[in-house]
Amino acid sequence: MIHSSELLKGTLQTIVLKVLKDQGKMYGYEITQRVKELSDGRILLTEGALYPTLHRLEAEGNLKTEIVPIGNRVRKYYALTSEGKSLAKVKVNEFMAFIKTMGSVLQVEMQ
Amino acid sequence: MRLSEEHISYIIKDLNSRGIVLDGLQDEVIDHVCSAVEKEMAEGKKFIEAYNESIKSFGSNEGLKEVQHQTLQSEHSKTNFMLKNYLTIAFRNLKKHRFYTAINIFGLAIGIASCLLIMLYVTNELSYDKHHEAADRIYRLDSEIKFGPNHLIMAVTPAPLADALRNDFPEVESAARFWNYGSVLIKKTEENIKELDVIMADSSVFSVFTIPFIEGNPKQALHDPYTMVISETTAKKYFPNENPIGQTLVIENKDNYKITGVYQDMPTTSHFHFNAMLALVSNNYNKDDNWLSNNFNTYIKLKRGTDYKALEAKFPKMTDQYAGPQAKLALGNDFSMDKFRAAGNKIEFTLHPLTDIHLHSQRTAELGINSDITYIYLFGSIAIFILAIACINFMNLSTARSSNRAKEVGVRKVMGSLRTHLIRQFLTESILLSMFSFAIAITIAWMALPSFNGLSGKNLFLPFGDLDFWMIVLGAAVLIGILAGTYPSFFLSAFKPVNVLKGNVVLGMKSGLIRSSLVVFQFSISILLIIGTIAVNRQLGFIQNKNIGFNKDQVIVIKDAYGMADQLQSFKNEVLKDNRIVSGTISGYLPVSGTNRSDNTHWPEGMQPTQENMVALQCWEVDYDYLKTLDIKIKEGRDFSKEFPSDSGAVILNQAAIELFGFTKDPLGRKISTFKGSQGDNFDPKSFATFPVIGIVDDFNFESLKQTITPLAFFLRKSTGLVSFRFEASNTQDVINSIEKTWKTMAPGLPFSYSFLDEDFGKMYSAEQRLGKIFIVFAALAIIIACLGLFALTSFTAEQRTKEIGIRKVLGASVGSIVVLLSKEFGKLIIISFLLAAPLAWYGIDWWLKDYIYKAEIGVFVYVLSGFSAFFIAWATMSFQSFKAARNNPVKSLRSE
Repeated sequence: MIHSSELLKGTLQTIVLKVLKDQGKMYGYEITQRVKELSDGRILLTEGALYPTLHRLEAEGNLKTEIVPIGNRVRKYYALTSEGKSLAKVKVNEFMAFIKTMGSVLQVEMQ
Repeated sequence: MRLSEEHISYIIKDLNSRGIVLDGLQDEVIDHVCSAVEKEMAEGKKFIEAYNESIKSFGSNEGLKEVQHQTLQSEHSKTNFMLKNYLTIAFRNLKKHRFYTAINIFGLAIGIASCLLIMLYVTNELSYDKHHEAADRIYRLDSEIKFGPNHLIMAVTPAPLADALRNDFPEVESAARFWNYGSVLIKKTEENIKELDVIMADSSVFSVFTIPFIEGNPKQALHDPYTMVISETTAKKYFPNENPIGQTLVIENKDNYKITGVYQDMPTTSHFHFNAMLALVSNNYNKDDNWLSNNFNTYIKLKRGTDYKALEAKFPKMTDQYAGPQAKLALGNDFSMDKFRAAGNKIEFTLHPLTDIHLHSQRTAELGINSDITYIYLFGSIAIFILAIACINFMNLSTARSSNRAKEVGVRKVMGSLRTHLIRQFLTESILLSMFSFAIAITIAWMALPSFNGLSGKNLFLPFGDLDFWMIVLGAAVLIGILAGTYPSFFLSAFKPVNVLKGNVVLGMKSGLIRSSLVVFQFSISILLIIGTIAVNRQLGFIQNKNIGFNKDQVIVIKDAYGMADQLQSFKNEVLKDNRIVSGTISGYLPVSGTNRSDNTHWPEGMQPTQENMVALQCWEVDYDYLKTLDIKIKEGRDFSKEFPSDSGAVILNQAAIELFGFTKDPLGRKISTFKGSQGDNFDPKSFATFPVIGIVDDFNFESLKQTITPLAFFLRKSTGLVSFRFEASNTQDVINSIEKTWKTMAPGLPFSYSFLDEDFGKMYSAEQRLGKIFIVFAALAIIIACLGLFALTSFTAEQRTKEIGIRKVLGASVGSIVVLLSKEFGKLIIISFLLAAPLAWYGIDWWLKDYIYKAEIGVFVYVLSGFSAFFIAWATMSFQSFKAARNNPVKSLRSE
């Protein structure tokens, strides 16, 4: 089952930040593949949402980039800045708290 | 597996054609697609299949564009990031068009610098007398007396008025009087020094005004007779290394005054400045009870919350109560205040708010020279005009250059720029320009300030240490940047990319109604200022040469001659031995302001003195040589002469006096009468003195020419204030040295000070002269800035039309016809400007001249001259560029782009 994009909308930044935190530097396509792998194919990041998010995070100073030429094209790697790292922590904590709240709102047990 | 070169270049080309062009994103998308394709192909798909698959995952064409748009948006939403971007582009743009940028910045900087200086001046003028703690509750008593043909508007009031106000009106908290001494001789030990601005004052001045003391106690100052307080500067002058408190100074060579206090120098923004203040109680006339003579500047401080208009309304009753009986005594028994008023006469006291005095008071017997609110309005509007002209330059240049930038706008829009981004970009540019201009403007203002101070007679400075100043400057820079940038940015950002890129938008000189109207506006103002300048200077020249009636050149005036006492006549005789000295006269009265004045009422002999026939006559006390020395022409009759001993009881009148006395037929030999003795204790309304008229002189001005010529009489009496000598045109310095030598031998202790009559005369018009000069400077600046704009516009047009000019030349057009072609457009605009400016100027000049009794003729010639000079200046500016363009070798402009 693939999660609906409705549900994913608010979590994109959190996912990107957390993945980058765990993996160090990554490029765009790699991020989509990594997320797909971690979610067993249930979360598919659309490129249309990913790149604007990456650029925004970069403009806000949470990401730094590195351009590496490979063959006859270039590859842009993203990595967290120190602000990005603390933001990742904040975002993940925020999301955990959200899940807990949702658990009690929906009256379901979390394992 | 890795993609082959061909595959990668296929992907790059295809993505490009699908519109992915954004710097930074393009490479990323390429890499992304390549990686995806590689993976798919590793799973066994064919390249084209894999490629389509990856593009689909982006959402095909729409999706790709959306990604690009979203990315752009999210980048733009971060302002500091974008600001950097805007700034970089702005800098590049300004650098690329150095010529226009320099003209823009320079023009705006001159405009702002002028504006800044004028603002400093205006702020200074508006801050007068605000330093007193109770400034909003202090009022001066003004008086207006209308009596028969006499009309006096004065800043002085009767001596008993202050007491009456204090006793009769509970609203009055305190009242104080000044009696103006003018210039006074002060002696510490041996030498008399002439001090200007010495005043006698009630001790209550320190409770009305805020005058901080450095030493001594203001509460006790000026209480006792023969005590005085002096300013810090005066203290340093007389007692450089001593404590002045308790010391004594000799006033007018006779009275000893003890110093009981030293006060801080009065700020320049005060309408009076006293170097020393003497206790008024030392003098008897402080107790004077005469309500009909006005000699005291009276100030009151009202209690908080008092409505001064309501208080003023109670004054007529007070006047009736106190002045009425005294007037009745002088004018006879059938006098009553009601009849007096019914005949159109008045004795009226009014209140003048302290902070209004400097700009709104031009009365007789002011404590200092006041300015005029008209100048504030004039300068304020000039400042705004100049700034407007400079801003218009900026707008015109930006929009004129729009054809060059239209392509940029088109490309940016195609790339996905929103209109707001473009507006922001253009505003950033204009704010940046404005900031540069302000920085340069402050430097210019700082460098020009000393000369501006000389011109305006002020001591202004730029408040660099004041945070508010910088906040205002910064705020103004941003504001002007926005004001000047709004129109161009909206204008430019509104272009439709398709039209621009197809080349359908042709923007040159021909388009732009708004731009034309702005040029018209600039030149209307410039022409207005030219006409104004000519008019002001004509009027100045006119009043300085009109009705002089005496010869002001080659006359030296020796001051403080009364110090010589009975030696004065022999001093004059001694000086006259020098054959370069033509003649000399001893009299404190001269036809320049600042010398003695005294008036007294007279009436034709044989009539009962009534309010209809009494004339307030200026009575000047002169000697036998007065008219000869000043070269005043006798119109009828004769000068005073030693051959007629009876001349000591005779009078010479001016034409105005003859008319007011009604001596229209055979005036010579007619007589005028006046009361003997002064009004007061021994006043007898029945005893008259009578003088026959022996000569008549033409009217001449002896006060500022804003006023009408009042009746004037010369009497043969002793007046020892000044000695004037007419000398032959020769080495002036020798003449001065010779007179000084005689002076020093005859009066070793007295200071020798002198001036020339023509200089004193010129000083009466210093305000007007200053106005004239300031007008010239700022009008010139306005025109320079306007021309700077025109210069840039023309060079721009010429640049735009290089090809056209080339073709015309190849087809046989002459240089002349091309210059005409290029100037025609602006010529029309300048003619329109002239048509707009002329009526406005006429109206403005009419308004300004209404204050003057004697008006210069500002004929059509002035207007035509101004129009032509504006046209000529503009044409000269344009023709430089036009000629340059027209003389270019057509081969160069036609060969290639």
